[in-house]
Amino acid sequence: MFEKFAKDARESVVGAQEEARALGADRIGTEHVLLGMLRTPDSVAAQALERLGVTHGDVFAAVRALPPGAIDADALAGVGIDLEAVRAQVEASFGPGALDTPLPRSRAGHLPFEPSAKKLLEIALREAIRFKHRRIDTGHLLLAVARLDDSTAYGALSSLGVGPAAAREAVTAVWADVPVG
Amino acid sequence: MSDELMTAAASAAEPAEGLRAVRALRALADRLEALHVERARRLGWSWQQVADALGVSRQAVHKKYGKRVG
Repeated sequence: MFEKFAKDARESVVGAQEEARALGADRIGTEHVLLGMLRTPDSVAAQALERLGVTHGDVFAAVRALPPGAIDADALAGVGIDLEAVRAQVEASFGPGALDTPLPRSRAGHLPFEPSAKKLLEIALREAIRFKHRRIDTGHLLLAVARLDDSTAYGALSSLGVGPAAAREAVTAVWADVPVG
Repeated sequence: MSDELMTAAASAAEPAEGLRAVRALRALADRLEALHVERARRLGWSWQQVADALGVSRQAVHKKYGKRVG
């Protein structure tokens, strides 16, 4: 699939690795791929978001402000576990916020992709096919974010006031100005 | 919606709910493990002791936490 990636999309996947490390994550999530897309100001995604007044710095701050991998309390309640009760016990023993501390980073080497980030790449491929484009650029990646409404990347953009429709329009507008492979 | 359809919908949703719960349990267990490993190390436990208590190999636990908690 990577042979279909345009240069900017390739670079953003590589950059996602560094973004994840910079944020202390042990896996590459959709938010890190999104940040990777915005590293080069002339990528399609960076140009699209620039039209919406959103920079790499804005997204970085938005991602950092999101709750760090919050544990799914509803799902635990479904199997009879009261997360708040667990939290109270843990905090009594380890101090406030103990349950929210980030997990240890894995050591040197490549960070693995979260399933949602893999899905993002797959959807980007589908977007390229849908538009009959020969290559996947960061525009397709951004369109994929706009489709993955349960992803962290989508949440980060929403918190910056960028909804899926605006993102799609901006990508199409950039493509109208620059030739797509 | 007929009763049959509702039953079908509920059973279709079950794996999703179950898997979501498993994922949340894993996240919770991971956090708890990190907290306890860190404390054990600070109290002078060896990697071997930590590994034995967790029922995993010494290499596995050291690889996962070695950098963070020495």
